[in-house]
Amino acid sequence: MAQDEPKENSKTEKLPDDVRSQLTEDLKPLIEQEVERRLKTALEALRTQPDAQGKPQDPATQAQLEELNRKIDQVIEAQKKVRPGEFNPAIGLVGETVFSYRSRGSSETGSDRPGGFDIWQRSVELNIAAAVDPFFRGYAVINASADPVTGEAALGVEEASLVSTALPWNLTLQAGRFFAEFGRLANIHDHELPFVNRPLALDQYIGGESRTDGLQLNWLVPVDHYISVTAGLGDGLGGDTGPNAVGDKRGFSELNFWTRISTYFDLADDWQFETGLSGFINPRSNGRADLSPDTVQADGSTITETRRGLVDLDFKFSYVPLQNNQFTGLTWGTEILYSHNHYLIDPDGSLAPVNGGASSGDELSIRRGALGLYSYITYKWDRQWSGGVLVDHVEAADDRHDITSAYSAYVTWATSHWNQIRLQFTHTEHNPLSGFKDDKAVYVQWAWIIGAHSHGWAQR
Amino acid sequence: MKTLMKWTAPIAFSLAAAFLCAADPAAKDEIRVVTTLTDLADFARAVGGNYVTVRSLATGIEDTHGVPMKPSFVPTLNRADLMILIGFDCEHAFLPALLEASKNPNIQYGRPGYVDCAKGITPAEIPKSTDHSEGDVHPYGNPHYMLDPVRARQAIGTITEALIAKAPEYEADFKKNRDAYLAKLDSKITEWQEKLKPLKGAAFVSYHGHWFYFAERFGMVYYGTIELKPGIDPTTRHIESLISSMKADHVPVVVREPQFPEKVPALIAEQTGAKLIKLPIMPGGVPHTETYIEMMDYIVKSFVEAVPKK
Repeated sequence: MAQDEPKENSKTEKLPDDVRSQLTEDLKPLIEQEVERRLKTALEALRTQPDAQGKPQDPATQAQLEELNRKIDQVIEAQKKVRPGEFNPAIGLVGETVFSYRSRGSSETGSDRPGGFDIWQRSVELNIAAAVDPFFRGYAVINASADPVTGEAALGVEEASLVSTALPWNLTLQAGRFFAEFGRLANIHDHELPFVNRPLALDQYIGGESRTDGLQLNWLVPVDHYISVTAGLGDGLGGDTGPNAVGDKRGFSELNFWTRISTYFDLADDWQFETGLSGFINPRSNGRADLSPDTVQADGSTITETRRGLVDLDFKFSYVPLQNNQFTGLTWGTEILYSHNHYLIDPDGSLAPVNGGASSGDELSIRRGALGLYSYITYKWDRQWSGGVLVDHVEAADDRHDITSAYSAYVTWATSHWNQIRLQFTHTEHNPLSGFKDDKAVYVQWAWIIGAHSHGWAQR
Repeated sequence: MKTLMKWTAPIAFSLAAAFLCAADPAAKDEIRVVTTLTDLADFARAVGGNYVTVRSLATGIEDTHGVPMKPSFVPTLNRADLMILIGFDCEHAFLPALLEASKNPNIQYGRPGYVDCAKGITPAEIPKSTDHSEGDVHPYGNPHYMLDPVRARQAIGTITEALIAKAPEYEADFKKNRDAYLAKLDSKITEWQEKLKPLKGAAFVSYHGHWFYFAERFGMVYYGTIELKPGIDPTTRHIESLISSMKADHVPVVVREPQFPEKVPALIAEQTGAKLIKLPIMPGGVPHTETYIEMMDYIVKSFVEAVPKK
């Protein structure tokens, strides 16, 4: 009979099984959390207070409490299956759209984007990263950017690289496709730049980002002062370096080599100075181009790059107040590049494929140096607002009289850490010899991030 | 190739010189401890005594989430035996990159030298979602547990364990130092509880969500934050709404942490008639708060003076 009598808690028993189990599942983490919280609170209270008689707890009780405490810690730790920033693999997506108006068409500016009004989905960048094993981590950056001609999204691997995490002697080895450590702004992505476009000198001398397929070794010099030394070799450096000609047997001197040494000084608690010197050489760049003339000059002669060299001095002087650096700050960054290339001049153009591509014996080798630099100042006056000016100056690598200068002013509004809109005005002056004309441009760049993102060392 | 050789010579010379200079002057028996924040450094010094050299990355005036990533930290981290941190992703904006740059395998995540003081702390305010629509949330929960001195005791225990694991020969001394410090701290906890007893139920707001654990420990009411969401500045609507509800509920105190601008907290205090107080969030945040106990003394005194007597 007793079995038929309703119990006090019969309401819960009448719930359908599936609803009850669903409720249990939903509440389980909360219940576990609350139990842990109460246990911990009780334990802390016990630990901090002597017993009612004011006597200390006996060692056996203390040991039991500590054992219980350890078990609770293990439960908590077990719940942390992964660190939140490190889902395996960590995945993030960056989107970047550039709206612009340029006063002249691309035929008059040399731009690969149309003049007038333009909307360009410059990048949709998928970032993936995880530890490969206890000794290496791996990451990849897959970028889909709109083709300037067709508008179709072209998928490309910007980076896919393996980085050591446990080498001795302060060494880090990186291999694969990555942005080589050369200069200061060549090895960061477009959306991380402090302004809309990559400086002209980096565009012309490096080819934009310092992308390479190669190998790089970094050494933190084991002294009390920060000194970092990097050396690497790779199949090209920069976005405009094409693959080796099929069928060629490549010599070691046809690879690309770079090095960088950088250091840093605390000028005061709030003032920082960082500087670096980089060098790059491709001893035989003509091997890559298979002696095909790169440029046909106005007089019909051709000019072909046979060796590529570049030196880069960079510095960054910044005010980063310890107390409120999220709300104010100042950065002055400058990079000076000297390009020193060797060229083969062919007066009669016989080396050009259209003329049979044969040497006629009149070719001469020349060396040409050219200087490029940019300098910018960015001031941050609010967590959301910053602005600055950028000055660009670059001499063409094969003709130092062909000078392009640009002057930009920009304002950035970061609604949050993951969303920013930048307005920029740029006035560009071309040398008349280049055939291009001065132009003005207004850009609105909108960049956003979803998912995992890192506060990387290169972006500091 | 000649140019390559020309480059190679000075670089090789620099590297050789660096190797010659690489003798480590600090390579003694002392345990080299680096902490992210100053409260951890204070505890490490108290427990480690003469056996440790301690350096904190923060000086005390920084935002706990925004310590600048200075390259000058890297050599220090490179030689550290222990890296002591708050945990719960408190330092996520600066520590992972610094650890990677340090090239010190002993202090990387999961290694014995990586001392996460959140171990054993039960977190509060664990977000239901880590979506960025909730701002820069901490997935493990609120990381500002150091402002609760009872939870800080747990961190001292973790630091002691790490020091013993590193140098078991000094275990007795570490335990003795720990017990001496805890005795002092316990006496202060009793004192702070007594002083704050009259403030039980008193409400306050602050700029960032630093004060949940403090309020819970001392029976005060943490009314809300001036920030809209963690890391997201307040909107006009949020400020208006906060002022309106604070007036209705007679919230008597606005706390401004020194890392945040005074303008909005001052406006809210003025509009609501609340008292504005500037409080440190770690030792050294304001003058005369160089140790954890001095800091807590300052915080308790400030609250006692700011909350009207009933």
